[in-house]
Amino acid sequence: MKERKTSVFDGLLADNTVLSSLMVISPVIVCGDTLRNAAALIAAFSVITFFSVMISSFVPRKIPYAARIVSYAVISSLIYIPVRIAAGEFWPEAVERIGIYFPLLAVNSLIVFQTEARFFRMKRTNMVLSLVFYILGFDAVMLVTAFVRELLAYGTINSMMTDTPMLISGLGKPFGGFIFLGMLCGIYRKIRSAAGHRKEEEQEE
Amino acid sequence: MFIVNEIIVLLASNLILMQALGTSTLFIAAGSRKQLLTTAGIITIFTTTGSAAAFVCDKITGGEKVISLLMYTVSVGVLYMLLLSALYFFSRELFVKIRRYIHISAFNCAVMGTLFTISGKAAQDSALMHFGSYVGAGLQAGAGFVIAALILSAAYGRLCSAEVPASFRGFPAMLIYLGIISMAVYALS
Repeated sequence: MKERKTSVFDGLLADNTVLSSLMVISPVIVCGDTLRNAAALIAAFSVITFFSVMISSFVPRKIPYAARIVSYAVISSLIYIPVRIAAGEFWPEAVERIGIYFPLLAVNSLIVFQTEARFFRMKRTNMVLSLVFYILGFDAVMLVTAFVRELLAYGTINSMMTDTPMLISGLGKPFGGFIFLGMLCGIYRKIRSAAGHRKEEEQEE
Repeated sequence: MFIVNEIIVLLASNLILMQALGTSTLFIAAGSRKQLLTTAGIITIFTTTGSAAAFVCDKITGGEKVISLLMYTVSVGVLYMLLLSALYFFSRELFVKIRRYIHISAFNCAVMGTLFTISGKAAQDSALMHFGSYVGAGLQAGAGFVIAALILSAAYGRLCSAEVPASFRGFPAMLIYLGIISMAVYALS
C-alpha cells in the first residue's frame, strides 16, 4: 500500500516532470515569464497530455517500438487540433503570445517517450493517478516560475502593478529562464536531499 | 571577418541558446561527448530532411496552423521509420549501436521547433517560401544544435565534477551554464 502511494505521488515532488526529469523545459524557460502565459500553457499541457496518454495506452504493445512512438505522436497531434481551435476561440491573445511553444507541447517527451517507460507499466487506475500528479508537477513549477519571474522582471503579478523595489529585466528573457530554472532545480535537489536525510535519521531512531 | 559574422549569425539564430528548443534532448545525450555529437548529427539529418518535408506540407495546407502539427508529425514519423529501415538494411551492427539516438532525435522540440520556426518565417516573408530556403534553414538549425552540443561538451566534465556542490552538480549547473552562454549570445545579437 505504501509503495503504491509513493509511486502515484512521485510526479508532483519526488520525480517532478521539470525539476527532476528535465522534461518540457523549453516552454518554462521561454514562455514562463508571466502568469497569463503560464495559465494558457498549463491548460493546454494538462488537456493534451492527459488525453494523449490515456488514448495512447490503448495502442497494442505487439506493434514495433518505433511504430508505437509514431502513433503516440500522431495521437497527441490529433488531440492538439480541437485544443488549438478552442484556445483560439477563448484565449486568442495567449495563443499568439505562446507561438510555436503551443504545438510543441503536443510532442513533449512525457507523451512520446515516458509513456512507455513509466505509465504503461502500471495498472490503469495507478496510471491515471500518476499521470495526474506528473501533470500537476509541471503545472506547479510553471506557476512558481512565472510568478517569480513576472514579479522580478516586470514588477507585476498577473499584469497588476506592484511596488517591487528592484527589477531584474533579464529574468524575462530566455537566458534569465535558463538561470532561474537552474537555480530552482538546485534548490529542489537540496530540499529533496535534506528531506531524505531526515527520513533516514527517523528510521534509525 | 566573413567567418566571424557567419558564426555570430549561427549563434544568434541558435535554437537552444535563443529559444531553448531541444534543451531536454541535449541533456539526455550529454552523458558522453560521442553520444552528444552522434545525437546532434542525427538531429541535423532530421531538421534538414524534415524541413524539406515541411515545405511540401506548407504547400499542401497553405500554412494552416491548426493542422500543420499533424502534417509535420506524420512527415517526421515517416522519415524516422525510413531512417531506421535504411540503417537496418545497411548495417545491423550500426543499427544496434545508434538506433537509441535515432529514437530520441526524431520527436523533440529541436526538430519540430525548427519546422515551425522556418514555416513561420516563410509565412512572414514570401521570398523564403521556396525549397532551398527551407532546407538551408533546416541545415542551419542542425548546425546550431551541433555548436550548442560542442559548447556543452567542452564544460561537461567540470559541471559534473566533485568541485560543484552536490545539489547543483550536473543538470542544474548545465542550465545555469547555458543561461550564461545564452546571455552572451543575446548581447552579440
